[in-house]
Amino acid sequence: MSILLNRETRVLVQGITGRAGRAQTKWMLEYGTNIVAGVTPGKGGEEVEGVPVYDRVAQAVAERGAEASVFFVPPAAVKDAARETIDAGVRLIVVVTEHVPVHDAMEIKAYASERNVRLLGPTSPGIITPGEAKMGILPGNMFRPGRIGVISRSGTLAYEICANLAAAGMGQSTVTGMGADPVPFTSMSELLYLFDADPGTDLAVIVGEVGGMQEEHAAQFIADRMIKPVVAYIAGHSVPEGKRMGHAGAIVQGNTGTTRSKISALQRGGVDVAEYPLDVVKLVQNKLG
Amino acid sequence: MKLYEFEAGDLFRQEGVPVPDFTVANSPRQAREAAEKIGFPVVVKAQVLTGGRGLAGGVQIAESPEQTEETARRILKSSIRGLPVNRVMVVKKAEVVQEFYLGITIDGLTGCPVVILSTAGGVSIEETARTHPEMVVSNQVPISAGLSLPEAEKMAQKAGLYGDESARIADILHKLYHVFRKYDASIAEINPLVRTMKGEYLALDAKMDIDDSSLFRHPDLQLSAEDRIASPLEKKGRQIGVTYVELDGEIGIVSSGAGLGMATMDIIGRRYRPANFLETGGAISEELLYHVMELVMQKKGLRAVFINLYGGINLIHEGARGIVRFLQEHPTDIPVVARALGNRQEETWQILREGGVEVVTDTATEKSAEYLFRRLEKAR
Repeated sequence: MSILLNRETRVLVQGITGRAGRAQTKWMLEYGTNIVAGVTPGKGGEEVEGVPVYDRVAQAVAERGAEASVFFVPPAAVKDAARETIDAGVRLIVVVTEHVPVHDAMEIKAYASERNVRLLGPTSPGIITPGEAKMGILPGNMFRPGRIGVISRSGTLAYEICANLAAAGMGQSTVTGMGADPVPFTSMSELLYLFDADPGTDLAVIVGEVGGMQEEHAAQFIADRMIKPVVAYIAGHSVPEGKRMGHAGAIVQGNTGTTRSKISALQRGGVDVAEYPLDVVKLVQNKLG
Repeated sequence: MKLYEFEAGDLFRQEGVPVPDFTVANSPRQAREAAEKIGFPVVVKAQVLTGGRGLAGGVQIAESPEQTEETARRILKSSIRGLPVNRVMVVKKAEVVQEFYLGITIDGLTGCPVVILSTAGGVSIEETARTHPEMVVSNQVPISAGLSLPEAEKMAQKAGLYGDESARIADILHKLYHVFRKYDASIAEINPLVRTMKGEYLALDAKMDIDDSSLFRHPDLQLSAEDRIASPLEKKGRQIGVTYVELDGEIGIVSSGAGLGMATMDIIGRRYRPANFLETGGAISEELLYHVMELVMQKKGLRAVFINLYGGINLIHEGARGIVRFLQEHPTDIPVVARALGNRQEETWQILREGGVEVVTDTATEKSAEYLFRRLEKAR
């Protein structure tokens, strides 16, 4: 079992004719993802890696039954593309695009939540259900099938921690990259909720980092509602105040967004927090007995 | 991107938020001339991108042309929290009767703008919220609807304002929301907004932070990022398109992701101090990593460089060629240790090894860092 994505999911790739879109489509297909169509306005009728390209999302939905979409579209085009995709009836959208304007993210989030559409990102590394399918840029060889659900604000750190878990014989049910923008479309708490309800997941791992309040909010959700055990690692103990650390949302502002604040909130919620990434393995083993 | 007070003040003025007459000066003489036009007394304010200017002596009153020149000279020579003052703002001094706070920011959890109004201005809003929560009115605004004038009036009334004052402040708040949306701000704040003896309402400070990702649609603002970065190395990072944060240590760090980079800092920090944080972003090429190496190696006092790459969206084998090319052209005595995993890892290792880079293939950064630690012990 898994959340949001499996081998049957009929996937659309938007921005499929660009450099990243083409390269990643190849990797996703090789992994086994059921990619049914691509969209790039003006490129309808072409093919990429044998995948038919359409001008409009509605055509891809009508003719190919696309139900989930991954975005490799330029930042300025994300807002309109998201509206078009939501209106076409796609139920899951993964926005890999970096540097989406925050005001656009606010508008997209509001539009999607009114219509019950799930988005991941912006700046999501993607989502992978190991052994079945992946949407986004997560390299397949870092993951293996199993029963741990992973939520990460960082792509590269998710690879690292999942590879460590896999090396210790522990695979993942689904790995979700929520991105580390100031306004993520889907919160950490919402993803925890999905893993808590998934019969294929025994434990959730949170990979957090400095900035924002996602981890603090998740800690409250874990304390109040979550049944399954949770283990976390929060990156950036030594980050200086006021510096943006590569992710738009990775910034300590005064006392807000520090690892200390996140770690103590999570610990109060009953989460075991690893000091360094590799320690996650031990903590997961302990929790699962 | 943070705006200087005078830049935010210009935007406020354009959009109808009332600000006092002001001029920007970068020499004592200019400051004096500006003050003579504006009329005395004036306030001379350091233009730096940090708070706490007042306490640091960066905001001073001047009563005469001579005093203005002298004050401006002193402030222009100073630095505030490590930032040199290159400009001062000369502004007509207002006779303040009451101070208010107006601010708009973004709630990362709900994804809504948060509009805040307080009848206690001139102090930190966090402080007021803690000590006098009843004096702070806060409102989550649905982004599709925006903040209407009647909504703004409701907020003012809830804060205990009434009559003409309520209407005037609501109007300014409504305009501030317009500025916030029009310029893609992540913060738009007036602290304090004041009522003067003459019954005017004026923004005596202007704070704005504009979302970096939206700058492409605000070419009219002509904001230069490099003008706002004090560290020459951080400036260089911006120019080549990577995030470089200068730190106070001896191990250079290169990573292909922000989270990985921060974790690498944490891990290296167990034994040594990182000299920098560097994140390449998702567009690694031979050229980019050549420049990345050039940048990282410029830091004084380096004892080693630790490179931590993942091939997700990144073409790490191409990056490897850039690293090797730089090192061939600029041989170094310090160890350069690289870890590279993901798509095309074997090819990447081969390129790095052939170019004299020490490659560690552990899946855990901790183990690779231990290799580096041992390596540095040996070199001692």
